Amino acid sequence: MSETPTYIGFEEYSEHVPASIPSAVQQATSRFVGGRAARVAELPQWEELRQIGSDIRLHTIENMDVYLTRLEEKVKLAGGHVHWAETAEDARRIVLQIAKAHNVKMAVKSKSMATEEIGLNHFLEAAGIAALETDLGEYIIQLAGTGPSHIIVPAVHLKKEEIAALFSEKLNIHAPADPLELARIAREILREKFLQAEMGISGGNFLVAETGTLVMVTNEGNGRMCTTLPDLHVALVGIDKVIPDWESLTVFLKLLARSATGQKLSTYTQFITGPRHAEGEFGPKEFHLVLLDNGRSNVLKDPVGREVFKCIRCGACSNVCPVYKNVGGFAYGSFISGPIGAILSPQMLGTPAARELPYASTLCGACADVCPVRIPIPTILRHLRRRVAEGDEFSKPSIPLPLRGTAALASVALAWNWIYRLGARILPAINPFFRRDGWLSGLPYPLSRWTKVRPLPAFSAHFRQWWNVHSAEQRENSR
Amino acid sequence: MSKAQLFLTCLGDQFYTSTLQNMTHILERLGMELVFPPEQTCCGQPLFNNGFEDKTRAVALNFIRAFSKSDAPIIGPSGSCVSMVKHHYPFLFKDGTPEHALAVDIASRTFEFTEYLVNVLKVTDVGAVYPHKVTYHASCHYLREMGLKTEAKALLNAVKGLEFISLKEEETCCGFGGAFTVTYPEVSRSMMENKVRDILASGADTVVTCEPGCLMNVAGGLHKAGSKIRAMHIIDLLAIRESNVP
Amino acid sequence: MTNPTVENIRRSLGRTAQTPLSPRPALYKPRQPESVDSEIESFLGEVKKLSGVGQRISPAAIADALKALVSEQHIQKATVWDTSYLKQLGIADSLGSLGVELVSPNADKYAMALCDLGITEADFILPETGTLVLRSSAEKPRGVSLLPRVHLAIVRPEILRADMHQVFAEAKDSHYLVFITGPSRTADIELTVTLGVHGPKNLYVWMISG
Repeated sequence: MSETPTYIGFEEYSEHVPASIPSAVQQATSRFVGGRAARVAELPQWEELRQIGSDIRLHTIENMDVYLTRLEEKVKLAGGHVHWAETAEDARRIVLQIAKAHNVKMAVKSKSMATEEIGLNHFLEAAGIAALETDLGEYIIQLAGTGPSHIIVPAVHLKKEEIAALFSEKLNIHAPADPLELARIAREILREKFLQAEMGISGGNFLVAETGTLVMVTNEGNGRMCTTLPDLHVALVGIDKVIPDWESLTVFLKLLARSATGQKLSTYTQFITGPRHAEGEFGPKEFHLVLLDNGRSNVLKDPVGREVFKCIRCGACSNVCPVYKNVGGFAYGSFISGPIGAILSPQMLGTPAARELPYASTLCGACADVCPVRIPIPTILRHLRRRVAEGDEFSKPSIPLPLRGTAALASVALAWNWIYRLGARILPAINPFFRRDGWLSGLPYPLSRWTKVRPLPAFSAHFRQWWNVHSAEQRENSR
Repeated sequence: MSKAQLFLTCLGDQFYTSTLQNMTHILERLGMELVFPPEQTCCGQPLFNNGFEDKTRAVALNFIRAFSKSDAPIIGPSGSCVSMVKHHYPFLFKDGTPEHALAVDIASRTFEFTEYLVNVLKVTDVGAVYPHKVTYHASCHYLREMGLKTEAKALLNAVKGLEFISLKEEETCCGFGGAFTVTYPEVSRSMMENKVRDILASGADTVVTCEPGCLMNVAGGLHKAGSKIRAMHIIDLLAIRESNVP
Repeated sequence: MTNPTVENIRRSLGRTAQTPLSPRPALYKPRQPESVDSEIESFLGEVKKLSGVGQRISPAAIADALKALVSEQHIQKATVWDTSYLKQLGIADSLGSLGVELVSPNADKYAMALCDLGITEADFILPETGTLVLRSSAEKPRGVSLLPRVHLAIVRPEILRADMHQVFAEAKDSHYLVFITGPSRTADIELTVTLGVHGPKNLYVWMISG
């Protein structure tokens, strides 16, 4: 899950969803959906906030160069270091260099999608530096060696018995199948690590250009531990996280927790501007901000697709997506899943590698209804489908030839109405061969893909003949 | 007498002749004079939604030409098809071209059936009788793209004897999604089965929807599950009168 | 000289280094405060909803309240911000007389990690969300509200602010700010809410008034 995928086989993954995933994921999503609904009902200005949030994010995207330049200036002014990572490889190299320069043996990590995107953990480990996840859910899946099934609660697919067995095996202890006990065990073990680690690695939710401030939104306290106890703090953050100023931040903080989990605010929100000022205050001596591009600046070329960068990573879209709820996060083959993943991955990885993802949706629109920053996800999905099917100014088509052929045939049959009408008269001839109980079953390919799931109604295009009789009667009657 | 043109939809045309006949009867009973342009085929949505925008144009032009012969409004039994015409046709053609002007005109006078009854004719009671427990699946494009949140229920509420039961997941997609059913059949299956389970749990003996596509999916799923629950297009239910109550 | 990323961004957006910044969209009107008592009630109510213990305490009642807290939470070691207000309230002295071992707030992380109780003030509080806003300095070390398993925040009506807006307007130039909204929590294991995963498990907020 942490290496750049060369091809995402959504169909393959979606056909092999482990049995435990849908129900576990749906328990999480219904909890968050209920919470979100309650919080939204409390705020009469919710729609206004969404629109302002959308407008500010779009404004920022359209002026991203200015805001990033300002951000860098301010971080440096505050005594922090700024590094620009054009590629994932650059980012890995930069973080390793910083770690080596400080003789780091162990780093403690706060949850960060950006670090998953570049596969940082494996890279550091290969270089002899332990990179330990400390967010409870991430800690669990790191031990398990799997990817996240949900953006907010990554280990929700695992039952407490499985987690207990995992802890017992990997930590050489006897762990009981009790969530409170398991959390206590993790707390004790990780506390030691927080205290010993030479480096804290984090991501970031927002970067405030006005003052060069990194904003981190968390619940457990590990985010604070990672950025307060070690002498060195390295933050890896995507360039799309920049926002203009603190005033704008109020909007996003009001939208984020409510949309994500139904909390009014997450437990801890930190606002970090450079390193500590005095030794006795705690906090890192050195602060490094690594700004990750990794293809984002290219996506900016597309005025429709780049609206994806409005995203504030709340997960509300996933929580309402009926496709996501039935397949879970793994099926999207990347560090980011759900509807937002379906529009981000094809743009970051290119449509050839991720051509199945824009189609992993019924375009139902439930996601767009809940997106706190009004990302028009179904519109972008269709826009990307066009890129896959016909190509556009950003990419050649990548759809398999047979499908392109089918579409060409369909287009002809539907555009030339005599062909269509002829077909409509002929199709009912198929019925006797497949009819069972008034429905058609066992049809040949490609309709077999329909009938293996449920039967098809019999072909019965009789309206046109009926109309000729009926309209003649109507004319008669009106005389 | 006001005139209207009948838009069958390709699925209606192939599979739901009786629904189209019922649509004809209801509109005629309401005093409308109906026209049927036979050159119509499909609105082009299956191609458009799957990214074949270039290939959609010829199909859209066929629709536009068929329905431009009359200036009467166009009525169809599907929110998604009507939405295709209303919301996407104008963008298929370059601004300033004659095709674009025709597309804009057609888009401005195409209506979904329940939309036309409730919002244009201002009618909710069509004299239907159906003394049964009825539940309702809110189709995605009908609900969200067309913004039709109250029309279907307003019509159902006026049906004599009808007892309305809400589905727990009324607005959750049934898994049809057009080509989605054949692109990702297993995911479509899971979604359809969730919807069927929800319908079975509701206690209703009839489920109604405003989309032929959803109807095909859900009715097929109910049949496969061995259920006796009747799945109908709302038009079929609204056409039932004292004399033919099941 | 700019870096390749910014160059690429400009190319993609069709901008140059000279292209001016377009005006930022307007904000909404920030919330205005209600009566002080009403704000205090809301604030303490929210703290309670978050499984914190929020209460009004008069200065005279502090010593007894500390005694009860120390007993209830089995406090052996504590660390207290060395601020003038907390000195004025005699917090450290009261703890000392209760037999609690005091660790310096500027002690190293290992020593502070052994503390059971950390006592701080707050710079601001937000009534709508029950949030404590804490700055950081040598006088107000970050570890005190983070490492011990019990966190006691001593607050006053004067630090109430109606909304984040007002807080940010006053505090945006701080080099560090933390919003604390309830005790540490997670729902990562089977969605069971667990408090005190890494941060403090017990949060006490005392509103000193009267």
